[in-house]
Amino acid sequence: MLVLSRQRDQSIIIGDDVVVTVVDIRGDKVRLGIDAPSEIPVHRREVYEAIQRENLRASRLEPKDTRPLGRHKTAAPDGTPSG
Amino acid sequence: MEIPTTRFGPVEVEADDVIRFPEGLLGLEECRDWVLLADEENDAVAWMQSVDRGDVALAVVSPRRFVAGYRIRVARRELAPLNLDRVGAAHVLVIVGRTERSLTLNLRAPIVINLENRLARQVMTNGHLPVQHELGTALPALKRTA
Repeated sequence: MLVLSRQRDQSIIIGDDVVVTVVDIRGDKVRLGIDAPSEIPVHRREVYEAIQRENLRASRLEPKDTRPLGRHKTAAPDGTPSG
Repeated sequence: MEIPTTRFGPVEVEADDVIRFPEGLLGLEECRDWVLLADEENDAVAWMQSVDRGDVALAVVSPRRFVAGYRIRVARRELAPLNLDRVGAAHVLVIVGRTERSLTLNLRAPIVINLENRLARQVMTNGHLPVQHELGTALPALKRTA
């Protein structure tokens, strides 16, 4: 991994058009400003991974699994636990 | 064109029906083209079926039907690729998932579709909405003995 030291208000440039700036440093917290073209997604890594996991999990759902939604706010009277 | 699907059998799809996610979805990056299918047995749910992969489909719902007052806050750059002329053209859906206890809604990363150009994107909302919002309805619970 490339490691660079930066101070507040200093930046790094990735490629031609992604600029990451250290906006603020407080204790163990660093605030970063990111300038990137809108087609380049920028995410907090843990959120990115959570969404990725959730999408994959959701893509395994079958129509029968969603039956309780059609009866929202009412108890599910029948059906067996699936999955 | 007809696409083979594992859940719904062969599905006839018009080119105009296709909703395009230029970036795919996280974890499903190769799935760019999708169609929305009604669930004939369940009007609360629609299925977003991947055109590229017949085995990939996501159950989606209108969030406000389940979560009163659901509003999303997103950075402008999240919506920019959709070329929305007006906010009214944006249609918001959330993906249904499940835990062991309950069906869940991904309120954190909803899907926004521009109904006018059929471009769509899964956006990251600001704030701390849950990725797995458990629905009260739950899957049928195991019988309690005491």
